[in-house]
Amino acid sequence: METAIFWGLSFCAVAAALAVVFLRQAVNGVMSLLALMLVMAGLYLLLGAQLVALFQLIVYAGAVLVLFVLVVMLLNLERKPARPLLYPGKPAVASLLALCGAGFAAILRWAPPPGGGPMGGAVKPAPPIEQLAIDLFTERLLIFELTSVLLLAAAVGAIVMSRKAGDLS
Amino acid sequence: MTLYHFLGLGLLLFAIGAAGFVIRNNAVVLLLCIEIMLNAVNLILASFARYLYGAEGQIFIFIIMTVAAAEAAVGLGIVIALHRGHGTLAMNRIKDLKG
Repeated sequence: METAIFWGLSFCAVAAALAVVFLRQAVNGVMSLLALMLVMAGLYLLLGAQLVALFQLIVYAGAVLVLFVLVVMLLNLERKPARPLLYPGKPAVASLLALCGAGFAAILRWAPPPGGGPMGGAVKPAPPIEQLAIDLFTERLLIFELTSVLLLAAAVGAIVMSRKAGDLS
Repeated sequence: MTLYHFLGLGLLLFAIGAAGFVIRNNAVVLLLCIEIMLNAVNLILASFARYLYGAEGQIFIFIIMTVAAAEAAVGLGIVIALHRGHGTLAMNRIKDLKG
């Protein structure tokens, strides 16, 4: 059952990623990336990382993609192209599609037998959320605090860069 | 479904993101491709956390998500400044950094 879910999610993920690359209009790419984020949240759930899946939905689908949509809307850069997809005859496009097919074939071909060593899939029990909190707020406290400084610098930098020159408002 | 499968999927997603970064011409889509690559790395960290090490990988993921959010904010600020200075987002027509 889990294997079937994994394959379904992974095909959806690769299809969404290819759609981001191949759709010409930026807003279509942003929507495909939203689909990719939702699929990734499903994969995190499959890996037993519920907190990561939750943050994936809140941070990426909730904040980052809204920012992207806002910028696409603000710049109004959509002149409707003649074709919705990139021209599929380009060698780069063809080689990328071939790479995806070869990647899936390689995963299927060289998959290790289940149950032998770490690559064969001896699953450790998922760490409880309390353990995450203890690690994050004791051993990794400095990194945690530094990320807040990083976010502050990024917010100030984004405002400074995106305003008009000389406009202090 | 083993560690191997998740690593293969992460590698494939990273390759798609990197190839898209080279293929595409639109500055916003380049940022989207960077997000794909960051997500592939997050997936690999989560699978290592699950199969080998425990809680450490998930903490790495939180830090990477924070960096990704900061990067998106700054990157989109740069995109707005580029659009204002050059009137286009096509990367092959943006030749000088000073607008």
